[in-house]
Amino acid sequence: MATPKTRASSFSRNIPSTAASQVPGVKSGPNGTLFLSSGISDLDKILGGGFPLGSLVVVMEDPEAPHHMLLLRNFMSQGLVHNQPLLYASPAKDPRGFLGTLPSPVSSKDDKSLDRDSEQEKGLRIAWQYKKYFGENQQNSNSQRDNKFEYCNEFDLRKPVQRQFLSGQRIECISTQDSPDLAALHDRCASFLKQFLKTDGNISGAGRIAIQSFCAPQCTYFEQEWRVLSFIRSLRSMIRSSNAVVILSFPPSLLSLSFSKRLQHMADTLLSVRAIPDEDKDLAKLLTGYQDMIGLLSVHKVARINTQVPVILEAATFSMKLQKRKFLVLECLNQAPVDGSSGTSYATSGSCSGSSKGRSLDF
Amino acid sequence: MAESICRALRDGALEGEHAPALTIKDSIDSPLGFDVFAHVLAQLSSHILAGKSQSRGLVLVAFTRSPSFYVNLLKERGLEVNSSRKWFHILDCYTDPHGWKDRIVGRGKVNDVTKEASGVSTLCKDVKDTDKLCSLAIELGKGFIGEGKGRFSFALDSVNEMLRYASVRSVARVLSDLRSHDLASCVFWLLHSDLLEDKVAAVFEYMSSMVASLESAVPSPNGLRISLANLSLTEQNFRRARFSVRFKRRNGRVRLMTEEISIERSGITFSSVSTDGGTMGGSILPKVQFNLQLSEKELMDRAKVVLPFEHQGDGKPIEIYDGRRSPADKNNEAAATMQMTDSSKGEIIYLRDSDDERPDSDEDPDDDLDI
Repeated sequence: MATPKTRASSFSRNIPSTAASQVPGVKSGPNGTLFLSSGISDLDKILGGGFPLGSLVVVMEDPEAPHHMLLLRNFMSQGLVHNQPLLYASPAKDPRGFLGTLPSPVSSKDDKSLDRDSEQEKGLRIAWQYKKYFGENQQNSNSQRDNKFEYCNEFDLRKPVQRQFLSGQRIECISTQDSPDLAALHDRCASFLKQFLKTDGNISGAGRIAIQSFCAPQCTYFEQEWRVLSFIRSLRSMIRSSNAVVILSFPPSLLSLSFSKRLQHMADTLLSVRAIPDEDKDLAKLLTGYQDMIGLLSVHKVARINTQVPVILEAATFSMKLQKRKFLVLECLNQAPVDGSSGTSYATSGSCSGSSKGRSLDF
Repeated sequence: MAESICRALRDGALEGEHAPALTIKDSIDSPLGFDVFAHVLAQLSSHILAGKSQSRGLVLVAFTRSPSFYVNLLKERGLEVNSSRKWFHILDCYTDPHGWKDRIVGRGKVNDVTKEASGVSTLCKDVKDTDKLCSLAIELGKGFIGEGKGRFSFALDSVNEMLRYASVRSVARVLSDLRSHDLASCVFWLLHSDLLEDKVAAVFEYMSSMVASLESAVPSPNGLRISLANLSLTEQNFRRARFSVRFKRRNGRVRLMTEEISIERSGITFSSVSTDGGTMGGSILPKVQFNLQLSEKELMDRAKVVLPFEHQGDGKPIEIYDGRRSPADKNNEAAATMQMTDSSKGEIIYLRDSDDERPDSDEDPDDDLDI
């Protein structure tokens, strides 16, 4: 499993951590950032805690697979569990229909096993200089015992979410199909985000916006590229000053290259999903666990808002698997040593033969 | 595998999901798209008539051929259009797409359509209004069902023709509305990819759940140079093609299947083709370089490296091969060193191991074990 090596120092910031832990579903991280969970615990670990509040997450769709819907569903369900207001926009005529497909969280059975783990850890006496490595685990176990809500739930993709979560929630839906210049969507986002303006004091709550299949071909604004870009720019500025996260998915293969690049640059966190061929013997030989895989997820950019230190991931591509056909997990690709004669290297860490050209070796 | 397409269209849509949509794509190298479209149309129609399919009727939006052509086509396959049960209807966008014939004064109503076909076709006089076209098609479809429950299918003759009259967005809107309609069972359309930009073709592939593309069976001659030798190859492309289909499965994987098509007098036949091993999978994974074999160049370079015992003690300045020295220098130096070995100093005679020492075929290293 891939975990990014965050540079944890012995100095820790004196943030009043009580403030963040009072709001369920918001976690505080290094450099004073607050995180919202994506709904997928593996993705939270890869991104270093989750989606930072005030960031724009963009998912690049694959025209052949609906995996972006899985990411959106988990994101939205997590918001429902934490009672966070949600705004959902899609090109369908009736977006509310999608809410019926959100997965429901798995509960109670798992809590017992987690309690046992935390008790065992109390028996360990950890030397003071190693406490920094265990900080995250302890914080998690503490919050699990104190709060009712976990930061990130497991979602059972086969069970639809219960009615109690859907009713009485502040869920708004809007269809983007008929909006000619995105003005309606822009106004809805603005009024939604007004509830979560960032103030210097404690945060009262966090919100989530999910925009699915932005720039789908049947939408009226499909070919108005500059309108779309200015909408995204304005959305980004709105979101920077509010305690919310926007996740947006778009199909890059349907847009012109320059436009798609511009959209990608506007993202704080950039992910992409890819389909895999079915019953492909070569892939089955190359990868372990090919039968359970449904697709690939690549992380292109990780949001770093309050810091200049970039995140360098150990691996950029992960396989999406459905464990027991219910739970979405992300795993590092386990590959057999390959005859690397064809194809380009995905990670830009060059191979040895490439770097020693043209320089006189000096022993 | 054309069987699987027809089966998927026959089985139709599940509750709460969009209807399956098929794109048939061809190009100038293998222009057999319309034949495949006609085949799928005939197959689906026979399933509908036999009552085996989910849909109770088929609405065909015809842009490139007249309604009489389609009626005759179905008749040749033994499918009666004007039977007691209404199951087939044509939305005729071919005869008078702009409504000009109506406006010609003094001609009255010009009707090229045969009597047989006029019973099942509805003339559409304004194809630019895609919303009206869509609602008209849905109305016709609902007409098959009447009071009872059921669904209906749609076929679009040619996306290219429709794009002449309307924008990409409106055509995409029509197809997505048809596909997401509660009563739609399946939708399929024909596309000529050469006449469209890649982006536009990608839009229609995005909206479909199965993409069937036709490629030339024989490698086509490059450019437009048609010589006598190439002519026969080009002619073959009018009769044979490779038919590959990409199915987008529900679990998010893509299934790729290939067949060979050949068109004869008797009709169209599909035959399976021997797969030459797909290399699709390897290309999408990140390459982890762990190459245990050396390439040709790397072997040569390794042979040129001067090992320590070979160059020390010669009295020459030590230069290690770094990949840039030309072989000519090397040869000169080798000749020079030969003369220097006659000194009375001690010397190290170094013989290189052979690089590729593999055990002889009759030597079994396991023979040395005493078990």
